[in-house]
Amino acid sequence: MAKLWHIFCLMMRGERRSLLRGLALSALVLIMGASLLGLSGWFIVAASAAGLAGVGAVFDVFRPSAMVRFLAVTRTATRYGERVLTHDATLRALAKLRVTLLAALSTRSHDRLIRLRGAQALNRIVADVDALDGVPLRLFLPLIAGGATQVLALAVLSWLVDWRVAVAVFGIFTLGGLGVVLWGVRGARVPSRRAESAAQAFRARFIDLVSTREDLALYGQLPDQLVACRDAETRRQTAATTTDLRERQAGAALMVVSALAAASALWIGGTLAAAGEITPARAAIGFFTALALMETVAPLRRAVAEIGRMIGAARRVTAQTEMPDLPDALPWPEGPQSLTFSSVTFARGTARPVLSDFNLTVAPGEWVALKGPSGVGKSTVLLLAAGALRQVNGEVCLNDQPVTAFLPGATTLVGQRAALIQGTIAENLRLAAPEATDEALWAALAATALDKVVAGKGGLDARLGPRGAGLSGGETRRLVLARAILRQPSVLLLDEPTEGLDTETSDRVLAGIRAALPEAAVLIAAHRAEEQGAADRILSL
Amino acid sequence: MTRPKKRRPVAPDRQRLKTLLAGENRAIKLASYMTAASALLWLPQAAVVAGVFARLLTGEGGVTVLTGVIAFLGFAALRLMLNYLAEGLLFRAGQNIVTRTRQEILVREANSLGTSPLGGPGALAALAGEKLDALLPYITRYAPAQTRVMTVPFAILAIAFWQSWAVGLVFVIAGPLIPVFMALVGYAAKEASERQMQEIGSLGDLLVDRLAALADIRLLGAAPRLIERFEQAADDLRDRTMAVLRIAFLSSTVLELFAALGVAMVAVWVGFSLLGELSWGAYGGGITPWGGIFLLLLAPDYFQPLRDLSAAWHDKAAALAVAGELDAWQAHEAETLLGTGDKVAPLAGPARIRTSGLSVTRGSRVIAYPDADILPGARVALSGPSGAGKTTLLRVLAGLERPSRGAVEVAGQALSDDTADAWRARLGWMPQAPMFLGRSLRHNIAFGAPLSADLISDAALKQVLAALPKGDLTVLGETGGGLSGGEARRVMLARALAARPDVVLADEPTADLDHETADRVTEALLALADRGATLIVATHDARLIARMDQVIEIAPEGGRAHG
Repeated sequence: MAKLWHIFCLMMRGERRSLLRGLALSALVLIMGASLLGLSGWFIVAASAAGLAGVGAVFDVFRPSAMVRFLAVTRTATRYGERVLTHDATLRALAKLRVTLLAALSTRSHDRLIRLRGAQALNRIVADVDALDGVPLRLFLPLIAGGATQVLALAVLSWLVDWRVAVAVFGIFTLGGLGVVLWGVRGARVPSRRAESAAQAFRARFIDLVSTREDLALYGQLPDQLVACRDAETRRQTAATTTDLRERQAGAALMVVSALAAASALWIGGTLAAAGEITPARAAIGFFTALALMETVAPLRRAVAEIGRMIGAARRVTAQTEMPDLPDALPWPEGPQSLTFSSVTFARGTARPVLSDFNLTVAPGEWVALKGPSGVGKSTVLLLAAGALRQVNGEVCLNDQPVTAFLPGATTLVGQRAALIQGTIAENLRLAAPEATDEALWAALAATALDKVVAGKGGLDARLGPRGAGLSGGETRRLVLARAILRQPSVLLLDEPTEGLDTETSDRVLAGIRAALPEAAVLIAAHRAEEQGAADRILSL
Repeated sequence: MTRPKKRRPVAPDRQRLKTLLAGENRAIKLASYMTAASALLWLPQAAVVAGVFARLLTGEGGVTVLTGVIAFLGFAALRLMLNYLAEGLLFRAGQNIVTRTRQEILVREANSLGTSPLGGPGALAALAGEKLDALLPYITRYAPAQTRVMTVPFAILAIAFWQSWAVGLVFVIAGPLIPVFMALVGYAAKEASERQMQEIGSLGDLLVDRLAALADIRLLGAAPRLIERFEQAADDLRDRTMAVLRIAFLSSTVLELFAALGVAMVAVWVGFSLLGELSWGAYGGGITPWGGIFLLLLAPDYFQPLRDLSAAWHDKAAALAVAGELDAWQAHEAETLLGTGDKVAPLAGPARIRTSGLSVTRGSRVIAYPDADILPGARVALSGPSGAGKTTLLRVLAGLERPSRGAVEVAGQALSDDTADAWRARLGWMPQAPMFLGRSLRHNIAFGAPLSADLISDAALKQVLAALPKGDLTVLGETGGGLSGGEARRVMLARALAARPDVVLADEPTADLDHETADRVTEALLALADRGATLIVATHDARLIARMDQVIEIAPEGGRAHG
């Protein structure tokens, strides 16, 4: 519950005014509804009493009937305003929460980020945040508005009807309503949370199934993955059935509470009226108001069904919105830069250092190749130069500033595993340079000997599938290199850039890069002769 | 509204929705009638309450307070039970429909290849997941509300006319306005729902891809722009959702207004009549106090089913939008896998592969392959420039793609749906772009079997496993994030070796590897070949090609073989 309140406050932060106004309107709707029914009941019964007594001519019909019409119309309008306001504010808060989550994700360490699974992160940002819309809409707003209405009804009914009727109605609604909610929540919490986690497991497994189905088919594992998906679905269905049972029971219990409150108002008020202590018209106010107050507890039913889902989502979302406080970073450096490693040592945790006391300077316009067997730390050097890893000792600098002082992207790293996205070729290129003109895109493609291929595929607007599917390995490589050129980097870091290319294409691509970026300091992790040959200097690790 | 719509005899989405519900029609109908019966029981319940007040007013006839209270609670219990049971039936029916459809999507997608018209895995998961769930409210809310609309208002109308023709007239006039208005709202609601559904799908696709690439996107300095773009997309989705909700709220507001005005008019007429101010509208000696109170209690419930229906109207719009997408998804003739991808006994006979007249269509381009005859134990390199179609040939040989022309013969039999699974049981496969399931590395290699020491040393995995935080139990990113390119490739090698293959199909097995590791991978593959396995590699690597005994040249304009 504390977690939910925390999320509610988080959502309130940006939308405080709208949510507070929405809350006020919610309470107003409930109050008007109760007044409308209470007044109508009183009006009819009082009118019949006056008619029976033969004093109908002096009975003031106009003010009450005008009031009835006024309440009917304004309640409807208020209800519309309340719904639009609360939903809009909630959806706004949720959209913001999604963005916060994504922003928090993007500040994670590089090591954690590369192991991030898209499907799981998607669950956080989509499903978990979706689950939180109930926190204001179906939990806190109805609880607060309903509670306020009940307190007001206690006062007004004591004044207009009788304190005994008022106390009975108030007691049954508040104790009964809260009791049902607590009981329902206790029972539904676990299955509702399970249903949600099973649904998320289904989603992740299904995405896995679709994206690896060819490999799975090859190894005869397709049915196994199907079974895994089905398992998740079966678990979801079982848990959802249990949740639904508890929700229906809670719904039925809330109806019992409402019926008991109305019946007690009828009984106490009727008995008082029969004894002549109050008029039948005043007894009618009690009964009709109690009928209308049913609306204060009815929405809680959905809260019971969703509470487990909401708590689970709140817990995960809260854990992931905590962002480290980052110092203000410098904007990307301008002009030629030299890249300097001075006495750099790097180790993960307490493991043996991958790199110790490493020194290197790459001047503007210079190409340096790093060679050495797999696992010797070539990629680590590049990641350090990109500011994606932090050294234990020493400094990695661009001119005189440490590279980690800049915003991410001060240098440009083309890693081994090219990250392309679903969308057009132009979209993929403009990830690096959103303002680039079509001519600039074509020039970059020409530099990596890819212009003819792209033209053959239908130009810059040709669409790529998920993760850039639709290009061969070599084409993917060259597209990522073209993207790097577009950034016009002063420091370019290439991790085995010509892998999957034949010798002729490799040479053309490397020459193209050099021509496009004459002033860049270039550091290459290279094991191919073509790559080492393109360098001015080779460093063995 | 401006979008052109295809005219068909029955709208495909409606037809699809009907088909979806067909299996559970009886349960839904029964439950709907139960909710109608529960709503109708309000009539006697209200009559009892009116009786209590009539007796209080006149001091005679009617119902005593105690009897009234007991009867009120009795009817309430009865209605509650009916509702409770009906909700249970509806929930089960809805679950059955959703689960069945989900299974259908699952099975079909498992055997499809290529991209669906709906989009990538993210969009498909959205359809199979939360979008299908949008059918539930339609089944549990809309269907029963429809039945109540057909029954409850008519019963109340009859009682109204029995007590007072004026009240009856108010109902007759106010009632039909509601469906007319709803039909108008319905159009707008459906269109808005469709747009919202599309947005949900594309948001999923936008994210699933970019999240997997987030590390690289940040290195490009593009994270702030990604966040900005996502903010826009999230905002668009909010806008579209609000558009749907606004229509829903507006329609229910108008209905509430009709209902409120109707009730207010009834209340005013009843009040004036009881006062004796009005002498028209009822029969004989005007309306009795009982009749007046009874009518007032019934008036809101005359409109209630219509209001329920309108509240559920956007449930219907959402369900139709989902049904429409399902229809589009089903209408798309996806390329299918040969066979089922199941684990079966391997195909018998020597693993000889022969192709004749093979060609594959790629968009407007036709890739024609030279005829090949690959004997068991052969070491074959497929070479050719990037994009010539080397990978495609490997896929065809593995039964992952159907050639547009020509035939593949494996182990003396035609490669077909019947033989593909058994053929694949003899294959090892090293794709160029490794993909990892969201399970342990161990499962990704041997699919549940423990990793033998031989396997680890053959694939040179020892150091790789030692460097991972949880060893072979580590869960990696979708494309092997957490490993270097060379490491990921060695994992693919280990997976191919673990299958104890007779034929290994490897796509650029030495790409991303330094000489030393490339040599180790090559040796591991050649060691397999020495044990009698056939080796078919698509590669540029001259050193690897030199170790093969046969080269099949694949040129963009058609290739030739030499040995």
